[in-house]
Amino acid sequence: MTTIYNRSQAIYWLAIAPIVAIVIFVIAPVFNIFVSSLQFESLNLLRTEAIRNVVWFTTWQSLVSTAFTLVIALPLAFVTANFKFKAQRLTTSLISLPFILPSIVVGVAFLQILPNNFHRTAFALILAHTYFNFGFTSRLITARWLQIDPHLDDAARTLGASPFKLFITLTMPLLSKAITNAALIVFTLCFTSYGVVRVLGGPSRSTLETEIYFRAMQLGDVSGAMLLSALQIVIIVALFIVTTRASRNKFKQSTKPTISRQKSLQTRKQKVIAATIISIATLFAIVPVLAIALKSINTNSRFTTTAWRTVFTSPEITQSITKTLIYAVIAMSLATLLGLLSACSVAYSNNNFHFISGLTTLPIVISAVSIGLGIIITFDTQPFDWRGAQFMLPLAHALVALPLAMRVILPVLQAIPDSLRQASSVLGASPRQTWLNIDFKIIRRAAISAAAISATVSIGEFGASSFLARRGAETLPIMISRLLSRPGDSLQSQAFALATLLAIFSLIVIFVIDSFANTKSARDSHA
Amino acid sequence: MLEIDKVSIIYDSSQLFANLSLTIKHHEIVALTGPSGSGKTTLLRCIAGLESISTGSIHLNGQDITNQPAHQRNIGMVFQDNQLFPHLTVGQNVAYSLKIKRTPKKITDNKVREVLSLVGLNHLIDRTVTNLSGGEAKRVAVARALTAEPQVLLLDEPLTGLDIELHGRLLEDLGKLLRTRGTTVLHVTHDKAEASAIADRVLDLRQLIS
Repeated sequence: MTTIYNRSQAIYWLAIAPIVAIVIFVIAPVFNIFVSSLQFESLNLLRTEAIRNVVWFTTWQSLVSTAFTLVIALPLAFVTANFKFKAQRLTTSLISLPFILPSIVVGVAFLQILPNNFHRTAFALILAHTYFNFGFTSRLITARWLQIDPHLDDAARTLGASPFKLFITLTMPLLSKAITNAALIVFTLCFTSYGVVRVLGGPSRSTLETEIYFRAMQLGDVSGAMLLSALQIVIIVALFIVTTRASRNKFKQSTKPTISRQKSLQTRKQKVIAATIISIATLFAIVPVLAIALKSINTNSRFTTTAWRTVFTSPEITQSITKTLIYAVIAMSLATLLGLLSACSVAYSNNNFHFISGLTTLPIVISAVSIGLGIIITFDTQPFDWRGAQFMLPLAHALVALPLAMRVILPVLQAIPDSLRQASSVLGASPRQTWLNIDFKIIRRAAISAAAISATVSIGEFGASSFLARRGAETLPIMISRLLSRPGDSLQSQAFALATLLAIFSLIVIFVIDSFANTKSARDSHA
Repeated sequence: MLEIDKVSIIYDSSQLFANLSLTIKHHEIVALTGPSGSGKTTLLRCIAGLESISTGSIHLNGQDITNQPAHQRNIGMVFQDNQLFPHLTVGQNVAYSLKIKRTPKKITDNKVREVLSLVGLNHLIDRTVTNLSGGEAKRVAVARALTAEPQVLLLDEPLTGLDIELHGRLLEDLGKLLRTRGTTVLHVTHDKAEASAIADRVLDLRQLIS
């Protein structure tokens, strides 16, 4: 994109902070993992049957979870992309909730709603992974579906295509890239899932991610953990490369259609299908959260608010809540600032800084657990022994949130026509004044959404925290995990009360983000 | 023969027109004019089966098609903005209706080449449609509609947006092509000169309402 800022040297400075942060705290630790794991004799570990089983289980449960997610997300996307119905905004927000819930909360929820004989089973993991991903997958596919001009469907119909053939010959090919991308993201999230597997899988259903934690923190086999971490990174990077090449644009995406696809439900058949799909999806999204809330006020099979009172009076728990909030504020500020700087450097430069887009994807490709492990093995020598440093945890959270923060801001920034900036310039505004009065005012809502998402990521982050949280400075997910591992119904109820707190926070965030998005689209449609 | 009898259309809760009647004979080219917003496009969409009518009936060669879905009517349509399928090449776009009917590949290939040569685009058979000029895209849209061998072809302002020179050339080519093939056509346009140049009969939409 060519902008009036292209000639400014300032855009080179914008890129420095995100590049330095990612190089020092993501690339260097990962490089260290690779170098260290190749130096040890632990390569034999990969030949053991136990590890081969872990790799196989991680792979097949991710594949099945991805397939289940698509099976639920596709019909949902069909309804939300093609029809207008009552409470559409509320429904969309509710089905988005699972993805923004902390992973440990999802694990805890399914621990509560599934019968005991389903705990520690592959089915429980697959169901939880499907729950976690279906709403976000549906939203990704819906967004692309809405871009398909409904007149293309009309053209196909006048050429003799029945609804089924239209779907197979037109809709599916046009959606294929969005579906492939969504499937890749879901597979990666299931492959690197940690909180859900720690809570629901237990030792008998270990994935690569939990095995890394188990080896590093419980067996003391750091070299084995590093090797598994390196293996996981190689698999995910290879998958990203292969899929990106396979789904490379074969044709230009159509532009935004002039009329909306979404039509009112007219026939009885349409109403029944839409109501069924929406009801099932909404119930699927909210029942696990309600189950956690109910369990938090039910100890030893009777109604009581003891767990909630303990949550707000126990020094250990209140300290955890305070720490979590402090870390969240720091991580949110850092992630939003780094995300904003990355987005600006990508949007304003002539391809010079497009690699930053790839750099900021790294924390997704490299799991939070690997980032946590990489940091503790890299910064372990004076004067850089930062393993117990207070700033390390919020910094790690900010790096995990950075890809999301950047991707919320970047599209809004890229959509600003440069003519607006040119108009500002010819009216006498300096580049700085233009940025503050045009760009910043347009992207500030996106920046607030990015901040809200970053805070949510930090509050629910469990993978890196498992390595970096120190005793006395545990975050809420670590506290939930600790309470669940102790015997006694009252402690379990406290864990559920904390999980409910996290869920409420996530719910508030998703409504804030969606109300911003809807206000924006309403303003756009009036413009 | 296409017979539209006392058709009323309600669009967005308001009546667009009532009691519209029109008959188009076999091999006839009829042009329909009228001001913007008068419902010309909506009428075409109703004839094609893409929208439903409130009252009245539509018959094609004696058969009542009022409630028949679009894909079963065998009525072709060329859209104002072409609506070429972006994931298919020129040849694949033109072959679309044959592929839907599972026509053998050899017959399909021959038919596509034949129709593309009629519109002078055989050399673009493997080109992606997103790289076509305005005139080329229009020709592909016409070729795609003709390949389906529709009993009636509906043209929705097909030459709008083209520059004057291209408009004139395409109008001449389109007129020749449709007459050579004996296609029954309902051509909607707001341009009276274009209507007179291509059609056997030119009608104003407002005159059809009783």
